[in-house]
Amino acid sequence: MKPNDPDIRWVKEPPMGPTGKTYLSLFLGGFTTTLKHLVSKKKTIPFPDRHYECPDPLIYRGVHRLNRDDQGRVKCVACFLCSTACPAYCIDIVAAESPWPDREKYPESFTIDELRCIYCGMCEEACPVDAIELTSLFDLSGKSREEMIFDKEKLLAVYDMTKDAEPRRTAGRPPTPPRDTGGPS
Amino acid sequence: MLFFFETLIKIALLIAGLMTAAAYLVLVERWMAAWIQDRVGPNRVGVPLTKIRLFGLGQPAADGGKFFFKEEFTPGHVDRALYFLGPMIMLTAALAVFAVIPFGSVLPTRFGVEGLSEPIRLVVAPGMAAGLVYVFAVNGLAVYGALLSGWASNNKYSLLGGLRSAAQLVSYELPLGLGILGVVLVAGSLDLETIISHQAQSGAWNFMLQPLGFVIFFVAGFAESGRLPFDLAESEQELVGGYHTEYSGVKLLMIMVSEYLHMFTASFLIVILFFGGWHFWGLTGSSDVVTWPVALLRVVVLLGKVLLTILFFMVARWSWPRFRFDQLMGLAWKVMLPLGLLNLVVLAVWMEYGRAVAEATGLSYLAATAAVGWGTLAVAWLAVVWFAPSASDNRPQRSPVVQEVCR
Amino acid sequence: MIHITIDNRPLELRDDERLNCIEAARRVGIEIPHYCWHPGLSVVASCRMCLIEYGMTNQATGQVEMMPKLVPACQTPAVDGSVVVTNSVKVARARAMVEEGLLLDHPIDCPICDKAGECLLQDYHFQYGQDERRADVRPFTSRRRDIGDVTLFVDRCILCSRCVRFVREVSGTSELYVSGRGAHEEIDVVEGFPLANNLSGNVVDLCPVGALGDKDFLYKQRVWYLKRHAAVCTGCSAGCSIWIEENHDRIYRLKPRENLAVNRWWICNEGRYGYPHVHNPERLLLPRRREGDTVTTPDWTKLPRELGERLRGAGRMAAVLSPFLTVEEAFLLCQYARSIDPEAVLVLGPVPVVGEDEVFPGGFTIRAEKCPNRRGVEEVLLASSGGLRTLESLLDELDRLPFGAIWVAGGYRQPWIDEPTAQRLARADVLVVQDLFPSPLSELATYALPSAAFAEREGSYVNYADQLQTAARGVRPPAGVRTEGSLLWELLSRERMYRASSVLEDVARAIGYFAPAAKGVGPTGIDLRANLLA
Repeated sequence: MKPNDPDIRWVKEPPMGPTGKTYLSLFLGGFTTTLKHLVSKKKTIPFPDRHYECPDPLIYRGVHRLNRDDQGRVKCVACFLCSTACPAYCIDIVAAESPWPDREKYPESFTIDELRCIYCGMCEEACPVDAIELTSLFDLSGKSREEMIFDKEKLLAVYDMTKDAEPRRTAGRPPTPPRDTGGPS
Repeated sequence: MLFFFETLIKIALLIAGLMTAAAYLVLVERWMAAWIQDRVGPNRVGVPLTKIRLFGLGQPAADGGKFFFKEEFTPGHVDRALYFLGPMIMLTAALAVFAVIPFGSVLPTRFGVEGLSEPIRLVVAPGMAAGLVYVFAVNGLAVYGALLSGWASNNKYSLLGGLRSAAQLVSYELPLGLGILGVVLVAGSLDLETIISHQAQSGAWNFMLQPLGFVIFFVAGFAESGRLPFDLAESEQELVGGYHTEYSGVKLLMIMVSEYLHMFTASFLIVILFFGGWHFWGLTGSSDVVTWPVALLRVVVLLGKVLLTILFFMVARWSWPRFRFDQLMGLAWKVMLPLGLLNLVVLAVWMEYGRAVAEATGLSYLAATAAVGWGTLAVAWLAVVWFAPSASDNRPQRSPVVQEVCR
Repeated sequence: MIHITIDNRPLELRDDERLNCIEAARRVGIEIPHYCWHPGLSVVASCRMCLIEYGMTNQATGQVEMMPKLVPACQTPAVDGSVVVTNSVKVARARAMVEEGLLLDHPIDCPICDKAGECLLQDYHFQYGQDERRADVRPFTSRRRDIGDVTLFVDRCILCSRCVRFVREVSGTSELYVSGRGAHEEIDVVEGFPLANNLSGNVVDLCPVGALGDKDFLYKQRVWYLKRHAAVCTGCSAGCSIWIEENHDRIYRLKPRENLAVNRWWICNEGRYGYPHVHNPERLLLPRRREGDTVTTPDWTKLPRELGERLRGAGRMAAVLSPFLTVEEAFLLCQYARSIDPEAVLVLGPVPVVGEDEVFPGGFTIRAEKCPNRRGVEEVLLASSGGLRTLESLLDELDRLPFGAIWVAGGYRQPWIDEPTAQRLARADVLVVQDLFPSPLSELATYALPSAAFAEREGSYVNYADQLQTAARGVRPPAGVRTEGSLLWELLSRERMYRASSVLEDVARAIGYFAPAAKGVGPTGIDLRANLLA
């Protein structure tokens, strides 16, 4: 940006005035703020002794889960939008033709590297069928890197574990009968 | 010979005390930082191998142990000799300063041993007439530590940190010295013990008599110890770690400890020079002949004052933002130096004619001195407000030429 | 001179140019959206997406007289005095209406549609469509029907009829037709006559939406992950321009690249689906050294020096250049053979010919000669050794006089050499074989070096009609494979990296036939015949 860029807004520092120039008010201002906080109530939650209780699990961004549809199948349609949206490139999907007559495409494998993930929730935003969601589980740990790469079964298991406490954000639409458009088929 | 042992014992006591204090004050500093940021701070590590937490009092042991077990990595691009020399100089200089700094007054007994000094003074090198000069000389060596570390690391951040440190320390030596000169003039001695006893005998601590000198020394002491808001030499946001960017393990520990020792030195000097050292009205007396309780009380009073000063250092760290480098230099050369000179001149004149003036006005000499001191401070402060010598805004401005272009 | 005004921008055309308004607008950088029009097919003007305001300048008065209604740009010739308006509110509304009409019956199943990302319906809707859908949202259906070579997603179709016109006009097989009337119109095939011809893959490229799906690509990858590299098909001597579309060094599909001088807009199925050999695990993937019965894997870093020493010490040398080599590689190999033995015998490897040329009514031809660069290698050999010799003549000579070293550059996709021939060649002391797949010859070779597949090398090919085209590298070769070019470059102790373009400049300077390539080769290649005639 050049100094003559018309987009620059030149801001003048407000004059301090005689009181300000003594620096005393500023000096005391900084000092009182620190002292106030020094004695104020602490916000820390001592973790293993006390657990964080999420006020609204629906907006927390923790471990992912893959939702199931009403027949218990994985809801994901393998559209790759989550892995496209993912800024950390942690979602890996292998798509295949679905084995079910009413579905075209499904994820043959769906893995999330929970260590690479930055828990931004973009995948959840991108999903057109609300298949991937972030739960409020935050104390995720494992003994190896491999263990932290969650595959489809594990992600579905997270759903089974959390579905009662955290309902799906959008309940699935009721299945609609296929439209008859006539014509040869 | 016995004298030699006496000194050795004092040195051992002093170093053990300083190191322990440094370790635990790190914990205190972390607590302060946490509390000021509305956290609880380290509270887990207690007795090793048990689950007893002890409010985190085991933390210093864990921190220290961690430093020793960390990989001591020496980058391939450093100048090895100087790289190793830097931390050593820093720590040595920081410790050596304490040779003349009293950590108490005197002991009432010689434990029945003939040949010890009489009485046993709680300072490693008692009666050193040039005590303050020694402090300045040795403290000045710390510059070499930072400069050598920065240079030998062969890293631009380190070099910048070293340069900044050198510029800052050299600049603030001047106001520091000018701040002290007033005290020295009043006490008529460079020996720290004499300065304390002078305050104890008169009952007026120096900060009451020459507040301007105190302010100058206090600010310069902050700058000399390189603590916020004067920590430009190692400002993390700009220089990673400044001159100790490339250090790790025990060498980093040495640098950290010596920085802490600088803060101790500054606190001790502030307390001794301006807050009466071990003296407290009605508690500690002022003579060299003491009983055990009084002797211990003097140690407690001195260390208590020092602790309070250190706590102020820690709170200050989170209270005010860091200076910009030009502001730092402006403060030293445009504000501190003239004010220090003013203080010195006023004091010198007062020393010459003060008693006559006091007699003429009928005031007590001490009250008159204090009045002159506070008057000087007020005048000096007003002058700073009026002339605003350190106010500088070197941010890019819209120049008239540019304005033309913009239209 | 034809003078046209498009959105107030003047355009001049030559008198012999016959463009419609879409093409004319493209000249001034204005894109008129269209579905049914394709430069390679007849005009039906059925999609109505390219509607524009059109007028004529009255030559006598100079007044512009606009037509009262919108006209389709694809059907409107850009004649002298034409005035075209594409950015008026009227046009924008018409486009939005067309989009809305198309989307009424479209299952918006973009998430599972392979076309999403390169779909014209998507693109035009974002650009010209309305923000909101006024009709009620119909449930998603996606009826899928197997119609032969490709898969038809019936509900996604927008009835542009490009595919139908293609099978009628270009492939001439007429399998597809539009059945039903009105809202019931669908693309279909007649029972028992599925879509099955050697150009059928092109209907997938032609389809502006995801109605026709490539069975080979179906659900494999999303198109926005693919990176495309301009290359040349090496399936036959036609040398069609193609795009190699890959992701993470894996080819997912090949697509035709428009090149009016060679393949126009099409490629054949043989070339389109001919890439899997690149990822075939049977390929030679490591260099092998055979001494007696012991087989070892030499280190690539030391191999060039070792090869040089062995070849230099062997005596008489011969080199067999396959027609799969690029011009640059052939040139470097000739130079290398000559640097070792100035009298080296250089011969052309076998040229695979399968069946006869297959000519389609639209003019597209699949060549019987199944190699990309016979002409180029021939010309390099002619220039290097003064005559063209075949492998047979080398074998005859081999029976009479022993050779110390033979370098065989292969790279054939199919088995190409039989056991007896291999045995005869193996009589040389040092036999260096570069090939894609294990063959009787590579089994006998002293050094069997893996060869790079077509997508892994860069270089130039000369097709049957002397059209020189350059191909960029599409994917990196597997870890143990070095491209012929870079190996020869190192063997010749040249400086810096192997770059085909700089070698081609050398070739153009050294060999008259290639001289036009000295000024660089454009995306559609260079016709070397023009040079010969001159």
